[in-house]
Amino acid sequence: MGVFRYILKRLVSILGTISAVLALSFILMHYAPGSFFSSANLASAMGTLRMENAHLYASYMQMFRDRYGLNLPLWRQVLEYVWHSLSFNFGNSFENPSVPIMEQLRTAFPISAGLALGSIVLALMVGFPLGVVAALRRNTWVDSVLTTLSMAGQALPSFVLAVILVLVFGVWMPGLVPVNGWGTPANVVLPIVCLAAGNVGVVTRYMRGSLIESLRQDYIRTAEAKGVPYRSVVWRHAVRNSLTALVTVIGPSFAFTVVSTVWVENIFSIPGLGTLLSGAFVDDDIPLAITSVFLLCLMVMGMNLLVDLSYALMNPRVRLE
Amino acid sequence: MMVPAMGAAAAGRAASARTSAARRAWARYRANPLAVVGLVWVLVFFLLGIIGPWVAPHGYAQTNYLMANHPPTWAYPMGTDSLGHDMFSEILFSIRFALEIAIFASLAAFAVGTVLGLWAGLQGGWVDASLMRIVDFFFAFPAYFLDLILVTKFGRGMGPIIFALAVTGWAGYARLIRGLVLGMRDGEMVEAARALGASPLHVAARYLFPNVVSNMLIALAFGIPGDLTVQAALSVVGMGLNPPLPSFGNMIAAAGGNILGYPWLLYWPAGIFAVTLLSFLFVADGLQEALNPKGGY
Repeated sequence: MGVFRYILKRLVSILGTISAVLALSFILMHYAPGSFFSSANLASAMGTLRMENAHLYASYMQMFRDRYGLNLPLWRQVLEYVWHSLSFNFGNSFENPSVPIMEQLRTAFPISAGLALGSIVLALMVGFPLGVVAALRRNTWVDSVLTTLSMAGQALPSFVLAVILVLVFGVWMPGLVPVNGWGTPANVVLPIVCLAAGNVGVVTRYMRGSLIESLRQDYIRTAEAKGVPYRSVVWRHAVRNSLTALVTVIGPSFAFTVVSTVWVENIFSIPGLGTLLSGAFVDDDIPLAITSVFLLCLMVMGMNLLVDLSYALMNPRVRLE
Repeated sequence: MMVPAMGAAAAGRAASARTSAARRAWARYRANPLAVVGLVWVLVFFLLGIIGPWVAPHGYAQTNYLMANHPPTWAYPMGTDSLGHDMFSEILFSIRFALEIAIFASLAAFAVGTVLGLWAGLQGGWVDASLMRIVDFFFAFPAYFLDLILVTKFGRGMGPIIFALAVTGWAGYARLIRGLVLGMRDGEMVEAARALGASPLHVAARYLFPNVVSNMLIALAFGIPGDLTVQAALSVVGMGLNPPLPSFGNMIAAAGGNILGYPWLLYWPAGIFAVTLLSFLFVADGLQEALNPKGGY
């Protein structure tokens, strides 16, 4: 019976955390240099108006303040901002005021979500067999090469890997795969490889360690003593036991993968949330900046909830609490 | 007369036990070739960070527009960037600044996390509950975004970046040490110390901290390259250390944009940065195996 209560509890806690993030970012950004009036378009238009007609300028400013609630005390602004954001009404951005932020996100969000999820799937597909191979050939050169490579994959942040790949496929071997842009299937190759590399390392190392551990267990010796062929001892008894916990290994690295998409999108000029986010921070476009942070955090927290649920589903010994 | 003599002998035994434990850890560490190679490069990197500003042939803000985007020459052994900065000097100064940021941020986070974690673990009750709530908050979403917001608010200088990294870094240390303390708090060692009249502060400093310090060192060894990464990553979205202060992130991001025309701008910064991160990981991994052979993650 606990599942629904558990989900409800988690949703409430996600709501609380995300509201705190929103409020904190709004308050910090409120005191940051950029403001609605410093956006490029408005500043030049209002500057001209101020020179030509000071009275009209003042009444316009008053109108803006009334319309956007800039006269309200800060706590009311924060509450309203959090409330509107939670109902997915993000308002309009400073730099691009004619388009609601929702419209800008509608194309950007699926790109980033697709990249993040796709890279996780790729990492599982590559890292799982590599880890099994490393465990079965443990303490040979195959194992050391795989272990070192997976450590390298974990140590190198995706933006370093990305520029290295751009160097390899843009300068040394141009024409093989595009190193820039978005829209064709070939554009997906390099970004997703960059994003997957770290998780391939995580999965490989986990599978290796866990499988070596499993192969030492009593029930493996029992299976071998019964005369079960080695291949099925490995695949049906040992590997299967390692699989359930694999989900929990991927869970924490999902947050890092989402952050990595921000970097990778910037380097490969992909029109996703990450590019939107960095542009917003550089231009002091506060609403767009907070909104993209909000959505990326929501993605991470939703994924963590799914991971915990599926872990409980696969492993009946786990009690949700 | 007997009591102090015995005390001295016991203290001597304890000290020799400690040194031989350290010696055994060092032997285990040396047996790992990758860890040794990593340690050598990390030491070279620190050395470059210390002497770099004195041996750099040019200042980090010194430009030569006539030689902009020039391939390597004798005067500019690693070439020059789009403003005519000498890349060799830029790299030497970057090492200095990167290390300053990473070390100060990690140590600040480490100190705050250790104190709060010890306090929460020992005190329990509402202190523990509320501190862990705050820690959970920091774990619930990617810290990088909070770093971005803090840097937007406080500026892109050395101080604000150190502050941002410390603000988002302490929670990990606090959670780790609190867990370790909870495991020991009700054990015999602490009970014996309490029975002899030790104050909670004394218990924390004399008995609990020495027993968690190896785990904390491992966490710190993972934390420093983490801070190096995040600080460079801020530059990738254009929010890193403010130019003209050089940084690996800025160099890598700028070279990534110019890569088709001037690929030599990328070789050294990306190469050194990648090798450094790898070395730090090898060191941290080696430390983990040497200090904590039973397990860990």
